Amino acid sequence: MLVVDRVKRSFGSILAVRDVSFTCPRGTVFGLLGPNGAGKTTLMRMVLGIVPPDNGTIAWEGRPIDRHVRRRFGYLPEERGLYGKMRVLDHIVYFGRLHGLDEFDARDRAGAWLETLGLKGNEKRTCGELSKGNQQKVQLACAVLHEPELLILDEPFSGLDPVNAEIILDCIRLLAARGTTLLLSSHQMWQIENACSTFTIIGAGEVLAAGTLAELRATFPTRPVRVVPDLPAIRAAFASRGAPEPHVDAGGALVYDLPVEADFGGLLRDAVAAGPLETFQRDEPSLNAIYMRALGNGVTAA
Amino acid sequence: MNEVAIVFSAEIMRKLRSRVFIVATLIGVLSIAALSEAPRLVTGMVRSSTNDIVLAGPPALRERVAKLLGARNDFRVVAMLDRLPSPVTAAYLDAHRAAAAIAVSVEHRALHLDVYPRDLAAFSDVQFRSLVPLNDELATGIPASRFATAGRIERTVHPVDAKFADAGSATFAHGIAFGLIFILYLAIIMGSQSMMAAVAEEKTSRIAEILVATISPISLLTGKVLAAATLALVQVVIWLASVLFLSPLALSGLERNATSVVAVAAPSVQPTEIVAFILFFLLGYLQFSIVNAAAASLVSRTEDLGAIAAPLIIPVVVAFLIAQFSIVQPNAPWAIAFGFTPFISPFVMFTRIAVTDVPTWQIALAVAINTATVALAFYAAGKIYRVGMLLYGKLPSPKQILAALRA
Repeated sequence: MLVVDRVKRSFGSILAVRDVSFTCPRGTVFGLLGPNGAGKTTLMRMVLGIVPPDNGTIAWEGRPIDRHVRRRFGYLPEERGLYGKMRVLDHIVYFGRLHGLDEFDARDRAGAWLETLGLKGNEKRTCGELSKGNQQKVQLACAVLHEPELLILDEPFSGLDPVNAEIILDCIRLLAARGTTLLLSSHQMWQIENACSTFTIIGAGEVLAAGTLAELRATFPTRPVRVVPDLPAIRAAFASRGAPEPHVDAGGALVYDLPVEADFGGLLRDAVAAGPLETFQRDEPSLNAIYMRALGNGVTAA
Repeated sequence: MNEVAIVFSAEIMRKLRSRVFIVATLIGVLSIAALSEAPRLVTGMVRSSTNDIVLAGPPALRERVAKLLGARNDFRVVAMLDRLPSPVTAAYLDAHRAAAAIAVSVEHRALHLDVYPRDLAAFSDVQFRSLVPLNDELATGIPASRFATAGRIERTVHPVDAKFADAGSATFAHGIAFGLIFILYLAIIMGSQSMMAAVAEEKTSRIAEILVATISPISLLTGKVLAAATLALVQVVIWLASVLFLSPLALSGLERNATSVVAVAAPSVQPTEIVAFILFFLLGYLQFSIVNAAAASLVSRTEDLGAIAAPLIIPVVVAFLIAQFSIVQPNAPWAIAFGFTPFISPFVMFTRIAVTDVPTWQIALAVAINTATVALAFYAAGKIYRVGMLLYGKLPSPKQILAALRA
C-alpha cells in the first residue's frame, strides 16, 4: 500500500503541494486529477523519491521510499524521453537492467512486451526512427519490464491516437490484473474514468475531492437528465416543477441538471403527458463534471 | 552488476556506435599529423625569449664577452659572476630565470666556454660567432676589430639536467612533451563537448527524470564519466598508434626537421612516461569531464550549452599554454607550483616528466592532489547534477548553485 501522509513541498516562494494525503491500496488503479500546475507531477516525483517532501511522509508497504524501494517502482514521466540513437531492444533491456534484471531475463521480457505492445519487428530500429506513439510504447515497456510493484504513469495518454491510447489502456488493465498498483494522472477524462478505481482531485497543491467514482458521485448534488424532443410543452412541464433552464446538446436534446432529490418519476410522467416523448434519460455525473465542480469551474453534471 | 557498471557499459556501447566518436577519432589522427610541425614553431618562439644566461669569468673578459654576445641579440646576460657554483643545477638556472650558465676562460691563448644549458639543443655555433674576433685577438694580440666573425669557439657543454645524454634526446623529449600535451588537450576539448552534449540531451529529452527515478544521480554521473574517460583513453591509444604508424614515414624527414613530434616521439617514449601519461591523462580528463557534466546538467536546452561551454574551455587553454612554457623551464618555481595546481597539474606534470627528472615525491604529491580533486569534483558535481537534471527554465543563479552544494 502506498501511503502519502500530509506531504508538503515548496520551490522557493511557490507552494507546489500542501498537506496532501491519500492511500493507494495494493492492486488498485489510482487516478490523480488536477489542472496544469496543480502539483501532480511534484507529488509523483515525491513518491518516486526524486524530490524529497519538505514535510510529511511517504511510505510503500510501511517502508519509507529509499533507493531499494524505488527500484521496485516503474515510472513513465509526462515528458517522454528516449536515447534516439539507441536500438529499441537495447533501450528496454538497459532500463530493465537498471532495475535489477540480468541481461538474459531482460531480453526475454523485452521480447514479450514488444509483442504485447505491437512493436515486434522494431527491435533493431533506433528509437528515433519510431513514431511518437510507438516511442511512447517503448517507454511504457521500459517502465514495466521489471514488473514493478508500483507503476507511476504521468499523462500516459497524452498525444496518443485512439488506437494507441486503447493499447496503453489495455496494458494498464493487464498490469492491474497482475497485481501492480498504478498511480496515474491524465487530462483524458474518458480514459482515466475507464482505467481507475479510485480518484483524488487536487488543485493548487491540495486535495479537493477523493474516493471511488461511486463515492464521488454520491456527493455530487445534481444529475443530468436528457430529454428528446425539444418541445415547448415538455419545457413547460419541466419548468412547472421548478427545473432550471436546460441546455441543448449537439444532438438537439434538452439536458437538464436537476437536484439529486428531484422527483424524477413525476417529471417523467409530466413529460410523457406533454408530448410524444422519445427519450428521458437520467445519467450519473461524469468524472469530468465531478472534476470541474471540484475545481469550482462549473456544476453541470453532463 | 551494480548501477555504475550498467550505465558504464551502456554508455560505452552507445558512444562506440555513434558517428561522433568515429569522426572525432579520425579528426584527432589528422590533427596530430597536421600539427607535427608545431613543436618546432612553439619551442622556437619560447626559446627566442628565454636565451637569458648567467655569465661567469674574470671581470674584464666577461665584460667583453657580454658585450659581444649581447650585440647579436642572441643572448641577454642576466647575471655576471666571478665563478659559477659547483655543480650548476637546474634549480640554480631557474633561480636566475636563465636558460644556461656560461663560464668563460682563456686556455692556451684561446677563448674557452663551459656551457651549462638546461636545453642541450638550445645553442649552436652560430650563436657564438660574435666571439670569434675576440678569440683571434687572444691568439694573435691583434685587436679584434681587425677580424671577421668566421670560425668556431671551443666550448664544453655540461648538461645541467642529467635526464638526457645529448641534444638529440633533449629535442626528442620536447617533441614528446608537446605531443602528449596536445593529445591531452585534444581529448579534453573533444570529450568536454561530447559530455556536455550527452548530458544536455538526456536532460532535454527528459530521460534524466526516468534515470534519476531509478538509480542515484551519483551512480549515473560516475558511470557516464568513467565511460567517457575510458573511450577517451581508447581514442588516445588510437592516436598514439597513429603516431607510431606514421613515424617510419616521418623518420625519413628527420634530417630536414629534427623536432617534428611525429619523428621524435615514437622512438623516444619511455615506459615510465607512458604510465605517467595514462595516469595524469585520466586524472586530468576526469576533472574536466566531471565539471562539464555538472555544468551541462544546469542547461535546459542544448542551444544554451554555448553559454556555459566557453568559460569552461578557458581553463583548458590556460593549462595548455602553461604546459607549453614549462617545456623549457620545467624546474622553475612556477612550473613546480602549477604541477600541484588542480586542473592545470596534469598538463604540467606531463611536460615535466617528459623533459626533466621530477622527484618522486613531487609526482606522488601531484597524483594525490589530483585524485583528491577528482573525488571532490565528484562530490560537488553529484550534488549539482542531482538538482540540475530536474531543473528547467532559465540558468540557475550562483546562489541556487551554492544552495545545491550545501544541500
